[in-house]
Formats: sequence, structure tokens, C-alpha cells
Amino acid sequence: MENLDNYAIFVKDLVKTYDGKTNAVDHLTFNVKKGEIYGLLGKNGAGKSTSIKILTTLIPPTSGKAYVMNYDVKRYASTIRKIIGVVQQDEAFDFTTVEGNFKIYKMLWQIPREEAKSRMEMLMDLFNLTEIRKMRLFELSGGQKKRVQVARELMHDMDVLFLDEPTVGMDPIMRRKVLDYIKKRAEEGLTVLFTTQILEEADYLCHRIGIMDKGKIVAEGSAAFLKERFGEIRKIEIKFDKKQDPENLSEIERYISGIPDVRSSTVNEDGITLLSKYIGRVLSELIVKLNSMGIRVNSVVSDNPSLDDVFMEVVSS
Amino acid sequence: MKLPAFIRLTVRNIVVNVDIGTLTFLLGLPALYFYVLGMMFQGTINTITLNGVKTSYISFLAPGIMAMQTLTAGNIGGSLLWSDRRWGMFEQLMVGPFRRSDYLFGIISIAIIFSIGGSAIVLGFAFSTGTAHFTITWLSALYLVAGLVLASILFTSVFLSLAVVVKTMQAYNTVTIILFFMLDFASNAFVPITPAVPAVLREMAAYNPLSAAVTIVRDSLIYGINSNTHIQMLLLALLSAVLFGVSVILYRRVRTGS
Repeated sequence: MENLDNYAIFVKDLVKTYDGKTNAVDHLTFNVKKGEIYGLLGKNGAGKSTSIKILTTLIPPTSGKAYVMNYDVKRYASTIRKIIGVVQQDEAFDFTTVEGNFKIYKMLWQIPREEAKSRMEMLMDLFNLTEIRKMRLFELSGGQKKRVQVARELMHDMDVLFLDEPTVGMDPIMRRKVLDYIKKRAEEGLTVLFTTQILEEADYLCHRIGIMDKGKIVAEGSAAFLKERFGEIRKIEIKFDKKQDPENLSEIERYISGIPDVRSSTVNEDGITLLSKYIGRVLSELIVKLNSMGIRVNSVVSDNPSLDDVFMEVVSS
Repeated sequence: MKLPAFIRLTVRNIVVNVDIGTLTFLLGLPALYFYVLGMMFQGTINTITLNGVKTSYISFLAPGIMAMQTLTAGNIGGSLLWSDRRWGMFEQLMVGPFRRSDYLFGIISIAIIFSIGGSAIVLGFAFSTGTAHFTITWLSALYLVAGLVLASILFTSVFLSLAVVVKTMQAYNTVTIILFFMLDFASNAFVPITPAVPAVLREMAAYNPLSAAVTIVRDSLIYGINSNTHIQMLLLALLSAVLFGVSVILYRRVRTGS
């Protein structure tokens, strides 16, 4: 048995099946150290939200182990709920004002009056909510509602914060503010489990990243590690000298799909973007093919992969 | 001092429901019922003699409207569950420091508070206008509150079950309107059930739980506690227990996180 004291979240062989046939979470194993920001990345339906729902005790696992701050999610659900904060992917708010939502949270979590007041003002200021504090939630835009949802959750003390795509609908400046604040809280000891579809966010924020596919983690490590691990993959961008017609594009797509070393590719009328470990061979084969079709190449650029490229590579392979 | 979780949820339920629309519905409507219906029918039905006691129509009507508050409060409880599920707050609360039972008791509590509060306003209105005359003792007050509490639990259970079962707000509203219509009008809330009433409606009124609540409130305020009051209280208690059990079973089936 591993020493769970080191981990804020410990998950081993976790399975969740809804219909008895398909595993939404399929023998998932990962852990998050105390004070760490861990990012779960994956396509829609990869199992990220289901995993968070199990860890936040909303749904029971079918089998496997899951502990939050050393508490078994199956046996100590109510204890876990007292020490976590959760920002769900879906909207969740009371039909009162922005300020009213904060005050309800203060009362629900029994935050002392003075502390609640100063926290509320700080969060209102940080999340640019001061001007809209008297507005009712249904009057707000999607991004504003999300800001309320995240800020409100940060009112109370917690050991672990679960953030399921918390920045959806926010503008880039606000997104960066939120991420910086989460970083700051993590430096103070908060553990964060974070899911996002915006990979730059994970790159910027997370100490470690787990890429999920079909209910399990298929690659894990820091953003730098993942880029290095899958760094043999190169991105090639080929620009045509003029726009190509659909027939040519179809022929190029067919040709590329026949090259075994190409991981993923997109072809459009202006050019080709593809990922491959064997850049030299793939490129020479492709140039020959393009020449034979009478297509002239304007430029060829090869680049290191971004986290997006790593994600595409891991998930597509 | 830490407040118990269900009390915190009750306070939250009151805060989110204290808006102009709900208050008008909850407090203004019974006052309007009392004033409009009472004044209009007073001219036609000057007095009502029941159990050998002669009362003004307004005195007869007030307990009916007070008992109807339990129906309104029950609907507020059901609507709260429905909207919390729809707007994500049910799940949000369920990942907070609360148990499902805390949430359920929070809803039952707000229904009881609103029904007793609403009834008190009707009673106050009736007294202040000087149009109704009641005799209240400690014992009758106790029966009055017990009847309102039991009826609140009963109707909250009905609307909670409805909130679990129906998928859309339209369906919830449609069923609610029908229920309100049947329970309000096929009862003894507005008029006494006499042999002149068609047999079908008489039967419906006899089995209508609102009639039991009205009888308890009316006996508490006008006719005095008698053997029929005890029977109605017992029936109300039994039916409340059964419907509460059903609502708990249905409520336990409300899924989170799916």
C-alpha cells in the first residue's frame, strides 16, 4: 500500500461505467501531490468531468480506489465535501444578485463576517465584478457568470480545488488573471485539479499534465517533459504557391494517408500541415508527389511541437 | 456558533425566494383572495351555519385561505428543487458541506415557514379589517400550527415528487395549475360541502387533503376542537407520512453528475 499522506489526490484503477458495457473512466490511475496543480486534458468525452465528479463525490465509482486528502470517496463523502472547492463545468448559481451569491456562500460555508467581507471585496475587485455586483445573475453574459462562479468558490477555505474548465467564456486578460490567482493560491499550499480544452492554459498553469483518452491517462508529465518526450515529432507546414482546387486536395489527402509515418495532417487550398517523426523522408516523398502533380511549393517550415501538437499526437496515436 | 446544515440551507432558500414576485404570490395573493372573494361573496352568502354555529362568510373563508397557504408553500418547495436541478445549484450544493437529507429538510422547513407566515398574514388581515371573528386558545393555536405543519409536509412532498418526475418547467407548471385548481375548488376552502353539492364533487372534497387541513384550521379558529378535528388530524398525519415517504424514495433517485 502506498503512503497516501504525500498525495492530495490518489486514484488507482478507477472505473466508472454507466451502462455496464462502456467505461467512461477506464482503470484510471494518477495522483496529485499536495500543493500541486495537475491538469487533466482530453477531448470531449475523454472522461475528465466524470473523473472529477467521482472525486468530488457526486457520483460513485464502479470500482477502483479514489482518495482525496487521504479520505476514501466512497466512505467519507461528506468529510471530503467540507475540504474541497468545486467549480463545475456547467452553470450553477442562485437567482439573486452577484453580491447576493457571495453572501449566500458566506452563510453556507459559515465564513466569519469580517473575513468574508474582505475576501468578497478582494475577489470582486480581482474578477472585475464590482461594477456588476448589484446585477442579477440572469442579466449577465456567459463569461460574467463564469467569473462569479469561480470567484464565489474561492470565498471559502479548502485543501483541494477542482476546476472543470473554469475559464470558458472569459476574455484572455481575465483568463490570465484567474490563472495567476490560482497559481498564487497553489503557492500558498492549495492543491488544484484542473481541466481545460485550452492547452496553453495547462502549459502556463500546471505543474503536471495528464492527457486522457477513452477514460484513461495515455501520457503524463510536465508540459516540458511531454514536449521533450514527444519532441521527436516535428510539425511541417508546406505552403503552395497558389490556391489548389478540391480535386488536387483530395489526391494529396489520399497520398498523405498512405504515408505510414504521418501522425496527423490537415490539407487546405493554401497548404499542408502535418506531424511526423521522420520529417526528411516524409518531406522528400511529399515534394516528389507535389511536383508530379504540377504543384509548386512556396515555402516549407518545420517547427517544434506545441502542447497542442503533443496532445494531437498522443490522442491520435 | 455553527448553524446546522439544514438551517443554513433553509436561510439560503428564504434568501433566494425573497423577491417581489414570490412575495406577491405568497403574501399578496391570499390577501387579495380574502379581500376580493370575501367581500364579493359576503353580499350573497351573508352567513354560514355549520356545526350549529353561525359565522360571517369572511370568517368562514379566512381559515380556508390559511390552509391554502400550505399548498402554495408546498409548490415553492417543489419549484425550488426543480430550479436548483435546472440551474446547477443542486449539484453545487451536493459538492458542498451538505448531505442530501439536509437539502430535503431545508426545503420542508422553508415550506413550513412560508405557510405559517402566510397564514399569520391572512389571520392578521382578517383581524385588522374587523370582518372576521375567531376564538383562539393555546390548545386551538397548537392544533392550528400542527395542522398547518402537517399539510405543509404533505403538499411539499407532492410537489417535490412532481419536481423529480417531470422533465420540463412547462410540464411542472401545467400539472401544478391542474393540482391547484382541483385541490382548491374541490374542497371546503371556499364553500361548505353540503348535500346540495353534486355527489362526485362531494366525494372529491371528502378525500381532498386540503379539506382536512381546512377543517383543522376552521375548528381551531371557529368551531372548537372536536372528535372530527382529531380524525382529520390523524388522516392528515397518515397521508403526510405516506406521501413524504414516496417523495423521499423519488428524491433519492435524483441523480447528480450525470
